[in-house]
Amino acid sequence: MPFLVDLAVVTVSCLALGLVSKYLRQAAIPAYIIAGIILGKSGFKLITSYDLIQWLGEIGVILLMFYIGLEFNFKGIKEPGTLFAGCTDFGVNFITGFSLGLLIGLTLVEAFILASAVYISSSAIAISSLIENKRLIYPEAETVVWLMVFEDIVLAILLVVLTSIVSGSLAMIPVSLAATLVLIVFILTLFRRLSNFISPLFERDDEIPILLIFALLFGFSAIAYLLSISLHCHISEVIVAFFLGSALSGVKSLKWLLGDTIAFKNLFLTIFFFSFGMLFQFQFATLSSAYFILALLALITLSILGKFASGAIIGKRLHGSLETGLRVGAYTTPRGEFSIVLLAVVIGTRTGNYELLVSLVVAYVIILSIVGSGFAKHGDRIGKAIMAGINKLLPLAR
Amino acid sequence: MRISKLPEIGTKYEIESPKGDKVAVIFLTTGEIELYVLEAGAEHPSVTRLTSEEARRIGSILTGAMLTVEREDVEVAFSDISDLRIGIHMCPVSERLVGKSIEDLGIRKRTGITVIAISRRGQNIISPPPETVFEKGDLMVAIGSLDQIKACTREFR
Repeated sequence: MPFLVDLAVVTVSCLALGLVSKYLRQAAIPAYIIAGIILGKSGFKLITSYDLIQWLGEIGVILLMFYIGLEFNFKGIKEPGTLFAGCTDFGVNFITGFSLGLLIGLTLVEAFILASAVYISSSAIAISSLIENKRLIYPEAETVVWLMVFEDIVLAILLVVLTSIVSGSLAMIPVSLAATLVLIVFILTLFRRLSNFISPLFERDDEIPILLIFALLFGFSAIAYLLSISLHCHISEVIVAFFLGSALSGVKSLKWLLGDTIAFKNLFLTIFFFSFGMLFQFQFATLSSAYFILALLALITLSILGKFASGAIIGKRLHGSLETGLRVGAYTTPRGEFSIVLLAVVIGTRTGNYELLVSLVVAYVIILSIVGSGFAKHGDRIGKAIMAGINKLLPLAR
Repeated sequence: MRISKLPEIGTKYEIESPKGDKVAVIFLTTGEIELYVLEAGAEHPSVTRLTSEEARRIGSILTGAMLTVEREDVEVAFSDISDLRIGIHMCPVSERLVGKSIEDLGIRKRTGITVIAISRRGQNIISPPPETVFEKGDLMVAIGSLDQIKACTREFR
């Protein structure tokens, strides 16, 4: 049973590195990616069936997007405060990543992907830092969590656009976009009609509810795949999962199943991070070139500054306090799961054409999820230190 | 009081006292409850994480009794036996019941509740014997599970 050996390699290595990172109070995502790099194609090549692990990992991404869709709150996002914060966050940080991408010689599409990956913060790290740091009573906690929700919807839009752009020839882009939108509208209207019929099925206490969830997820993913094949375009199953989740979020009885869904999501998502690292073509020559390192350092510095700048604008406007804004910046600095998911969904394993971009984003996410967790963990101290610095430097401005 | 939803975290209930102290209760999606207290001018809040059972106990201390009141019904919970709930139901005796005894009506047999007291013209009969006859203007107090109490209001209203 060779697949059992593969599964053992994945789960045991992720468990070990995951435990170490939790013990060191670090984000676990880079640990899983690094486990994949060490044991996969670039390292010891311990995996016999890369396909199997990759498939399991893709289920993780589908479940992640389904869960985000399920938890997504369309009403709250229309609050003017949330809209302002979200647009500022997107404007500042996307433009930063995009211009830097062009500056280091990426193509337009590559710079677009880089900007998207750089823009999206890690909800997981930001939210766990808010709880651990006991910040939930402060007004900025709400701003940060709503920013994360706003970033989720932007992620969904970016994924629709990017997968269509990358999928093939220029002429196919409108077809992919149109097919995706039609399928989304179909799902949303279908479940609005069917919700009364489906709701009692989720209330059963046997295996039917969880089976139904997976049947819907795999069923619609398969429809997306078959449609893509027959129309020669690309409909991302991940997007379909997101909208399936948001279509089902109205079904009250689904609340009982949330815990099960989260458990499956966590397991398969861990395998996804491993599989991402496993397939990563580690080119020492590329990674150690002065050009690469300079580009990476510039990217890291600018994107940290970007989040602090957008945070400061948001804090000043929504809370009338620069220091609150700097804390928002610190909490949104960590990048993680979404940048990797975006990269994997958009580019997949076609690292050939995108080698520089993929290496850049992987190194960037690993570093920023670690450095960023530090920022998020000491958010209030950093805010205070920067304020003290500003007050010292600009005594006249006060 | 301010209620706000924190997506992926839970729901926050927040009040600020006139002195500027803030108290927030956060119902986490995990089912646990965080209690924040931020004194006016303090740098850091004090936080404790409670299970729903602990939170209920604190809640009942703050409301002044181990009771949850729902109109004329009262529910008693015991801190040591968390799954034991006893409902206490108080209702005026309806016209139909006047002149009949507890035994004749078969209250216990038909609904499962037990009549534990009758208030009659300012006098209380505690643990009335089954042959006690209801009179006009009586108030009846009975205990049972919430379902039994519901059955009783259906039967005798």
